[in-house]
Amino acid sequence: MGNLNLLNAKGVSRRDFMKLIGATIAALGLPELFVPQAANAMEQALEKPPVIWLEGMDCTGCTESTIASLNPSAAELILDMISLRYHETIMAGSGNKSEEAYQEALKDNFILVVEGSVPSKEDRYCMVGGKPFRKTLIEAAQKARVIIAVGSCASEGGGIPGACATGAVGVSEILKAEGISTPLINLPCCPVKPTTLMGTILYYLTYQKVPPLDQQNRPLAFYGTLLHDNCPRRGHFENGEYLTDWNDPLQKEYCLILKGCKGPKTYTDCAQVWWNDNTNFCINAGSPCSGCSEKNFYQEFSPLYSKQENFKLPGIGQVNADTVGKTVGGAAAVGIGVHLIATAASGRLKKQGHKEDM
Amino acid sequence: MAKIVVDPLTRIEGHLRIEVEVENNKVSDAHVIGTMYRGIEPMLRGRDPRDATYVTERVCGVCAGAHGWASSLALDAAFGAKVPAGGRIIRNLIIGAMWLHDHVLHFYHLSALDYIDIMAIAQYQGKDAGLLAVKDKVLKLVAAGDTAPLTPRYKPDEFSVNDPELVTMSVAHYLKALEMQAKAKKMSALFAGKQPHQSSIIVGGVTMLPTIETVEQYRSLLLEQIDFIEKVYLTDVLTFGTGPLLPLAQAGIGGGSPNYLSYGGYARDDEGKDLFLKAGILMDGDLNKVLPISEAKITEDVQYSWYKASANGKTPYTEDTIPDLDKKDAYTFVKAPRYDGKPMEVGPLARMLVMKPKGLMDILTKYNIKPGAVARHAARAYETLLLSKELLNWCDALEKEMGLKNFRIHDTEHWDAPATGQGAGMTEAARGSLGHFIKIEDHKIANYQMVVPTTWNFSPRDDQGIRGPVEQALIGVPVPDPDNPVNVVRVVRSLDPCLACAIHLIDPVTNDIKKYQIGW
Repeated sequence: MGNLNLLNAKGVSRRDFMKLIGATIAALGLPELFVPQAANAMEQALEKPPVIWLEGMDCTGCTESTIASLNPSAAELILDMISLRYHETIMAGSGNKSEEAYQEALKDNFILVVEGSVPSKEDRYCMVGGKPFRKTLIEAAQKARVIIAVGSCASEGGGIPGACATGAVGVSEILKAEGISTPLINLPCCPVKPTTLMGTILYYLTYQKVPPLDQQNRPLAFYGTLLHDNCPRRGHFENGEYLTDWNDPLQKEYCLILKGCKGPKTYTDCAQVWWNDNTNFCINAGSPCSGCSEKNFYQEFSPLYSKQENFKLPGIGQVNADTVGKTVGGAAAVGIGVHLIATAASGRLKKQGHKEDM
Repeated sequence: MAKIVVDPLTRIEGHLRIEVEVENNKVSDAHVIGTMYRGIEPMLRGRDPRDATYVTERVCGVCAGAHGWASSLALDAAFGAKVPAGGRIIRNLIIGAMWLHDHVLHFYHLSALDYIDIMAIAQYQGKDAGLLAVKDKVLKLVAAGDTAPLTPRYKPDEFSVNDPELVTMSVAHYLKALEMQAKAKKMSALFAGKQPHQSSIIVGGVTMLPTIETVEQYRSLLLEQIDFIEKVYLTDVLTFGTGPLLPLAQAGIGGGSPNYLSYGGYARDDEGKDLFLKAGILMDGDLNKVLPISEAKITEDVQYSWYKASANGKTPYTEDTIPDLDKKDAYTFVKAPRYDGKPMEVGPLARMLVMKPKGLMDILTKYNIKPGAVARHAARAYETLLLSKELLNWCDALEKEMGLKNFRIHDTEHWDAPATGQGAGMTEAARGSLGHFIKIEDHKIANYQMVVPTTWNFSPRDDQGIRGPVEQALIGVPVPDPDNPVNVVRVVRSLDPCLACAIHLIDPVTNDIKKYQIGW
């Protein structure tokens, strides 16, 4: 009961708290068994963790995405789950009042969330409160207990700004340059997916440690699977059925490889956990995956709407259009690797009316 | 004379610094300063033109969709694409839903905290169970000593609403509106893939072939929005504006520029002639004379911006723009666009003054409300209502189109980039007039530029030394306590600044762009 009283004193009733935990876990698709464990751990921790949310060279899209969450709601996130001490877009105070809030929060054991990239060539490209954003980030990063870089801009490589002339980089590059060892979690995607962010925070609070990460510091729980392997259109890919005309109802669910889909190179849970309250995701909307959860995605994957020539398939290595072309003949010039070869070899391509002049 | 600096000016999109000088308790001079620069347009050079929609969409996550829309319009023109009716209507539904999110978020989450004394909740004595729950919630936060992000804040002043019933209701609506803006994004995502940063709008139309079920799901969410807009949002704005804030409204605090501009937007026909939001110009405070837009009158000055002066001219098509961070007198990354040499206000108030819907004009007349911060909130709320009703018509129109044998959403014939081409997409974003301009050579982007709402509203002084619209709007604003410049932030926020949009490098375009498409 002691814990419960303290929880109450934080402004959250036990019922609200359990509802929040339950909803978060359901939204993340985690087993219900996780609920008591998460609730217990959070009660033990007795905290609404203080959060400083810094925005650098950003578009506020990750903030907008976070508050697009319906279950748990944005209000539950902001008022019940965390103590949002500093967030330029949301906080009441301005100017010296916001600076005051920031300085106070720095004294606490806070979680640092970073949205947007950091200019590495010229500090004056991003000044906040009269100070270079880069310096504010360094100061906060040194004192934070953990750093969560949300979205592609703050993650390694700096997303789209990383392709620009400002020398924009993500948080990891700054930490490296400054020798800061605070644990870093990258949550790329343009914007960050709210379930990914909330799940990461919940995991951290439950276990008091950083979740298992991949080489790009992304939590394996959300970035551990290849989109292509879970794609609802995978069957059409295997069958050699590729969308060429968005108007054709017959092609509506076809594979988007010819429209530039980067699913075969992209690690994300988009196929399993959809956006906006599980309403939709790019591929379901007929749009090719841009690969936005991958490092330097825009540099690596542009042009976005052209078929990628080289797809590295797990365990197979490089296979490009020419190789495939030589192997299966003209085969509609679909450079998609061994799956296609297998498909062509099994004769399924013919059935789909693709040109075969082998 | 006191100099007051507000930096960062929060609860807006992007990074903004405001410097005002105060004499005799009133603002006597003002500088608005954009403090961030990303340089997205130059990066687009040499890329596949179709990338522009995806990349410029990400200029702003609050105006989400607007840049993708304007970019597609520019590409449609450059590619010679004819967007089918299905594609045009779905674009309208995607963008329209985002405006419902945008305007509601702006009022409740970005602005309202400037007008209410939130701690008056403690005095609420009513019996409404919902409001008591809100009171209980806030009091617990106070007891826990953790009222972030609602505090710290500027002190409430003479204009702050401190009636416990009104304040408690406002906070309840703040929380309800958080849910409604998320649901509006969900509506948009039904056709858009996700929001923010939709993927569906592309050159030639959209990618999501709808089903009747999807349209009906959209309609059902829309009806919930309309109910909220009528019963809560518009009601709150009118309750505040004609009640406790009437003195601010009648004094026209934050009035500023007497010139208004709207490119118009949301085409209702395939030729783009019948626009839901009308295009027009109002000059020198004459609200009765709506002038046609002459694009040739748009110029940009850089004397006070961190860019080198151009040798090539001042129109958006001819100017050079090279950053110069050490330039004398310069104070911002925002340029100074002018129409016929004059600063122009853009946004909901400009659009509504051009259109003059009777319901809104009657209210403004009856209460003698002058253009200013409060009038902007009223115009924004009224526009939200008009748009939400129009979205219902577009649901009907889409279902009718879907019944046709040759229902189409995309111009597949014009999917590949032409060898050469150029085009402009001029439309409206939630916070004002937005133009994208593209020039294609050798199937690649030779040049790309955007002239965005916040560049108009938050422009610095021009070469003649004439202040930008917000700088003008701040002159005369009462600041009785220099430590508490709450009226300054009220006025600034009423123009819904979006600095990530405003601040970008514009590179030279050497040839005139002759093709336009407005609003579709």
